[in-house]
Amino acid sequence: MMKGPSGPATTVASAAPVLRIGAVSKFFGTFKVLEDCTLDVAEGEIVTLLGPSGCGKTTLLRCIAGFWEANGGTIEIDGQHMFRVPVNRRPVGVVFQSYALFPHLTVARNVGYALRMRGLPRAEAKARVAEALDTVSLTGFEDRYPAQLSGGQQQRVAIARILVMEPRVLLLDEPFNALDAKLRGTMQVELRLLIKRLGLTSIFVTHDQEEALTMSDRIAVMRAGCIEQVAAPDEIFDRPATAYVADFIGTSNFWSARAEGGLVRLPDGQTASTVLKGEVRVMVRPHNLRLDAAGQGPWQGRVAFHRSVGPLVEYHVEIEGGMTLRVATMRQSANRPIRDDASVSIAVVDPALCAVYPG
Amino acid sequence: MAKASFPKLAARPGVGERLIDALLSGRGIWPAVPAIVVLTVVAVIPFIVLLSLGFSDFVVSRGEIVSQTFSLDHLSNALSDSLYWTTFQRSLTLALSTTALCLIFGYPVAYLFLVGGRWTKRLILVLTIAPLLTSGIVRTYAWLVILGGRGVVNSTLAGMGLIDQPMRIMNTHWAVLIGMVQIHLPVMILPLIAVMSRHDGRLVEASENLGATRLGTLRTVILPLSVPGIGTGAALVFTLSYTTFVVPQILGGGNYLNAATMIYEQVVYSLEWSKGSVSSLILMLTCLVMLVAIALVTNHFTRWTRGSDA
Repeated sequence: MMKGPSGPATTVASAAPVLRIGAVSKFFGTFKVLEDCTLDVAEGEIVTLLGPSGCGKTTLLRCIAGFWEANGGTIEIDGQHMFRVPVNRRPVGVVFQSYALFPHLTVARNVGYALRMRGLPRAEAKARVAEALDTVSLTGFEDRYPAQLSGGQQQRVAIARILVMEPRVLLLDEPFNALDAKLRGTMQVELRLLIKRLGLTSIFVTHDQEEALTMSDRIAVMRAGCIEQVAAPDEIFDRPATAYVADFIGTSNFWSARAEGGLVRLPDGQTASTVLKGEVRVMVRPHNLRLDAAGQGPWQGRVAFHRSVGPLVEYHVEIEGGMTLRVATMRQSANRPIRDDASVSIAVVDPALCAVYPG
Repeated sequence: MAKASFPKLAARPGVGERLIDALLSGRGIWPAVPAIVVLTVVAVIPFIVLLSLGFSDFVVSRGEIVSQTFSLDHLSNALSDSLYWTTFQRSLTLALSTTALCLIFGYPVAYLFLVGGRWTKRLILVLTIAPLLTSGIVRTYAWLVILGGRGVVNSTLAGMGLIDQPMRIMNTHWAVLIGMVQIHLPVMILPLIAVMSRHDGRLVEASENLGATRLGTLRTVILPLSVPGIGTGAALVFTLSYTTFVVPQILGGGNYLNAATMIYEQVVYSLEWSKGSVSSLILMLTCLVMLVAIALVTNHFTRWTRGSDA
């Protein structure tokens, strides 16, 4: 079959996924680390595996890379089964948490390592190393050793080292952990833009939700070896599928209620719709709540504490029954923060954005 | 307003405590003084006395030196004596081949330690350290049982019909070499393991991920990174086997003359203290030269470690 010139990236949306993970399980002894994990990753997509430590996200990454063999299920790349394909024959590049740069090799030789192992002619290898270093803006650093570079530069060398091997799938294992907080934010945006520009299909592992929200096209939230929800960052944030996801991503307020006739009555008198019946838990995000000083609404509380978090003011509001609600409002010059100890009335801004889970 | 009560500052320490604090401050060499004193008394002074015997003619009367005059005769005699040259050459060959064999046998064990699981690592550590718990002399005598005319090796080979008469292994160069390698193997393995376990285990995975075979990883990552361990192990094994006395004496059956056994004979049997003194000096200086050579080679292969202070 003839292959036409490859069109713009947007037209491949319907094409077969580059990476297919089908019902993958992994045991250590009798301990089940992964259970029936299923995930498809499309060409050029960045999917994040997000979860607390010990949820199996790194295990799944190591199974894709081939460091560990899954005990059940299938891993396919471009339709080819990866079962029993050794690490060095998989079209997969890994950026390690520690970067794992070879300390005894210069930057140029680190980046050229994959080409040297493949026996590429020296001139061609040199050109491709130069190209990769240019891509990550490290031209001129060829003769440095890894120990002579900053954390951010080391990370870029680790990425360039993977780029030269032109992998089908890029795996990133918490690549920002070794960087200080300020650099992290910048590098997250830079790395996402770079990966998108190169059109690399990527799996990104992190326990940091902010990183996940920045980096991902889709997020797979993991819990105890299972994938709990896979969706775009906005959807994960606005419509978390389970209480666990809601609790893990962002700040959330929960309370118990009763659902009847497809409706849940909210404490402020409004109603939210649901398919559930009986005991339920209602979740609302802090920014979906509104405070009115000296209000007279049905939902009353007292401000226990407030603080400024950048452009937001966050209130901890004590309500009946000893619960504390978190409420976030935009800081506006005209609207002075409500003082601690003030009585307030609380209202839900948009009942449609309240999530209802089984109680 | 109530008077604020500050926590009391710690009481001024006594003289003894302040003295110990000063000693532990790291200024000066004070903490090393006890060791220096002991070494001066039991090693440096005797060595100077020994040297003075090698570079002088002296007359002994009733167990005491009565006259002593400076002389280079002993040194020039030694350097023109072909026995010295062949003996030191034998020592050097033995030490170099022991070092090489320890590296050949020890490196795979260290590699296994690096790539092996938790139990493999523990087993290797136990098996490496266990022999060090018994005396070298005991282990050397054990080889008598194994290598002797009716020993395990000969009786097994004879039993299999491979040989008619027992091979003569004991009291040969080979017996000494076998004993030396076994005795010194742990000293090679331990530094190798120490250096290998210092590096990020992800390096091996990274190498394979980048397309390297196991051999490629060994050649381009593990081997270069273990050079400092090879250097340390080689220096230790070389020094120990170049100056060794017990193994050649026992397994060589008194026929095997290396530098140490020669010095022993010169001092204990023929009572030629001047000869013994000169031999010791030559042994020490040549050993030092070899150590410097090993250090230079090691440094050459670890240039990358010196670029790390930018």
